[in-house]
Amino acid sequence: MGDLLSNLSLGFSVALSLQNIGLAFLGCLVGTLIGVLPGVGPIATIAMLLPITFGLDPTGALIMLAGIYYGAQYGGSTTAILVNIPGEATSVVTALDGHQMARQGRAGVALGIAAIGSFFAGTVATLVIASLGAPLTGLALIFGPTEYFSLMVMGLVFAVVLARGSILKAIAMILVGVLLSTVGLDLETGEERMTFGLPFLSDGIDFAVLAMGIFGIAEIMRNLDHTEHRDVVRQAIGRLLPNRQDFKQAYKPVLRGTFIGAMLGILPGNGAVLGPFASYTLEKKLAKDPRRFGRGAIEGVAGPESANNAGAQTSFIPLLTLGIPPNAVMALMVGAMTIHGIIPGPQVMTKNPTLFWGMIASMWIGNLMLLIINLPLVGMWVRLLKVPYRMLFPAILMFCCIGIYSINSLPTDVMFIALFGFVGYTLIKFGFEPAPMLLGFVLGKLMEENLRRALIISRGQLSTFIDRPVSASLLAVAAILLVIALLPSIRKGRDEVFTE
Amino acid sequence: MSTPREGVGLSGRRGPVRAPQGIAGGILLIALAALALWLTRDLDQGTLNAMGPAMLPRWLAIGVGLSGLALIAFAFIRDGEPLERWSLRGPFFVIVAILAFAVTIRPFSFGALSLPGLGLVVAGPLAILIGGYATPEARFRELLILSLSLTPFCMVLFGDLLNLPIPVFPQELAGLFPAGWSQKAILRATAIVMAAAAIAVFFATRKARPTTIDVADHSGRI
Repeated sequence: MGDLLSNLSLGFSVALSLQNIGLAFLGCLVGTLIGVLPGVGPIATIAMLLPITFGLDPTGALIMLAGIYYGAQYGGSTTAILVNIPGEATSVVTALDGHQMARQGRAGVALGIAAIGSFFAGTVATLVIASLGAPLTGLALIFGPTEYFSLMVMGLVFAVVLARGSILKAIAMILVGVLLSTVGLDLETGEERMTFGLPFLSDGIDFAVLAMGIFGIAEIMRNLDHTEHRDVVRQAIGRLLPNRQDFKQAYKPVLRGTFIGAMLGILPGNGAVLGPFASYTLEKKLAKDPRRFGRGAIEGVAGPESANNAGAQTSFIPLLTLGIPPNAVMALMVGAMTIHGIIPGPQVMTKNPTLFWGMIASMWIGNLMLLIINLPLVGMWVRLLKVPYRMLFPAILMFCCIGIYSINSLPTDVMFIALFGFVGYTLIKFGFEPAPMLLGFVLGKLMEENLRRALIISRGQLSTFIDRPVSASLLAVAAILLVIALLPSIRKGRDEVFTE
Repeated sequence: MSTPREGVGLSGRRGPVRAPQGIAGGILLIALAALALWLTRDLDQGTLNAMGPAMLPRWLAIGVGLSGLALIAFAFIRDGEPLERWSLRGPFFVIVAILAFAVTIRPFSFGALSLPGLGLVVAGPLAILIGGYATPEARFRELLILSLSLTPFCMVLFGDLLNLPIPVFPQELAGLFPAGWSQKAILRATAIVMAAAAIAVFFATRKARPTTIDVADHSGRI
């Protein structure tokens, strides 16, 4: 306990320096600004804004990036509530009741409770990270390559189970993602694999480029298919602070949502995505009158938003303790850290404690910042959302180009976002969900590395994955999950959760 | 919500193919797998003890191909979704806009074709003007004003304030300015000229209709 306090106070002494507060503020602000744009989710936002952190020192850069991330998330919720366009999977749920509240003239309350719930969830999640960080780092020590590989397999199985639509398609997408990650020089022999002899492919495909293409450009192409009818709320925003009655209805969902989100966020394989869905389903089950849901129930905003934010934050845990990015956003964080010369993993905490704890403390500050800056700025976001899409998307397009060019100063990167954008668009049109592919890509390189090492240690015996107890249990969990997901009765329930 | 479930209106379709989307997706996966297998054909697979570079890609490609086959098989057994409507206008203009940005941002040569580096001052407006036509609702005036105002903003933000190594203007432009001017000064001057042009276009082409100013405060009470 004493450790925790001294660590946190170290963190706050770093995060509360004038420069870092300023960076957190700026990050939250621009993150929200870009995240509010319809069709731009946190992944595209971070990929776009990554270059603006290049000139900073590592701690400052990570603090700003974390701010951008939270800002983008909150911006997505704002768009979901005000225009019913969820920027990403996790705010789909918020749009259900949030937008209905907005149509009833209670947009302010919906935004307010989302911000307050998120802040509470963020506070709890920060404490969870701070207290779990050290013990879990210890766990990393007993993990060898065999265990790492099995853990990542489990993560990918999670991603399959959590993906929407056909399980077969999700598996295919994961395999394609891992396959894409093997493009480039072979780690051990140095031979070129699937590079078409192109020199810029020998380092492999840049993650930011892939993510920007799939989540930025493809999204623009997809949005252009639908003639636009944007349902910007015309009613007054109304008061922002929820009243006593609202609080009374919302505080329990916030507590439950925080708990669910924080638990699921720790899981590798993008568990955080499940948080809002699980919370919404739970609230609906517990409610006295479930029919209110979908018609502007405040619980349907408070719970999922808290779960969303808690999960967004605890998903830092696998990255910071084990060095495994559990989702695409964290993979971008890995990219950002590597640019600044930090290799994410258990050693960050011991070698670079000011950075580690500074970042954790700044997460809380970022959440506070969101609460402070967003509520007064709602009017501005509403204005921005009224700009027609025909004017917005060329701007988004140019930001994407500038952002991706600035990362490596390579025109070929810019061309590749066009290619991957079209690939992503094709995948969407054929009913594939790109998110599992991205996760497969993220984990692919690490998986191959660990698989090879594990097999060298075991002299080519595949049974090593079952002989070692930790690895065996991880694989068992993965197998059970997959079987459960394939059971017809569960599948039906799963489809219901996602189609709601 | 009372939206009808997907697939409700599909029962009337005839023919052995019950999920056209599955067929298309399956073919795509198989093609991808074939490409990967072909690309790794010369690489050594190695043994489990000492894996070669081709081991993982090859097995993954086989996995992808099998998923594709399974998708096609299921398309004959189970009902699925029809193919969605494709429009090529959007992707076409978006891709061309991105390519235009990529080839003009800095000196580019591809075979016999070579372009001088024109910098953000040209690449930015090009991307916006071409990309803007991805929607049938495009209006030239709007796009022109947008490109003339956003580009200087980005020039100042990325080139001046953030010091990112992004080429901002062609070197030839520097010759037009007095010799003593620094790169930053030229950047700012160009940005000001563009912003002024944006304002000029805005006022020059404004339609002489009674302007209905949106007085109603949409932003609400805060």
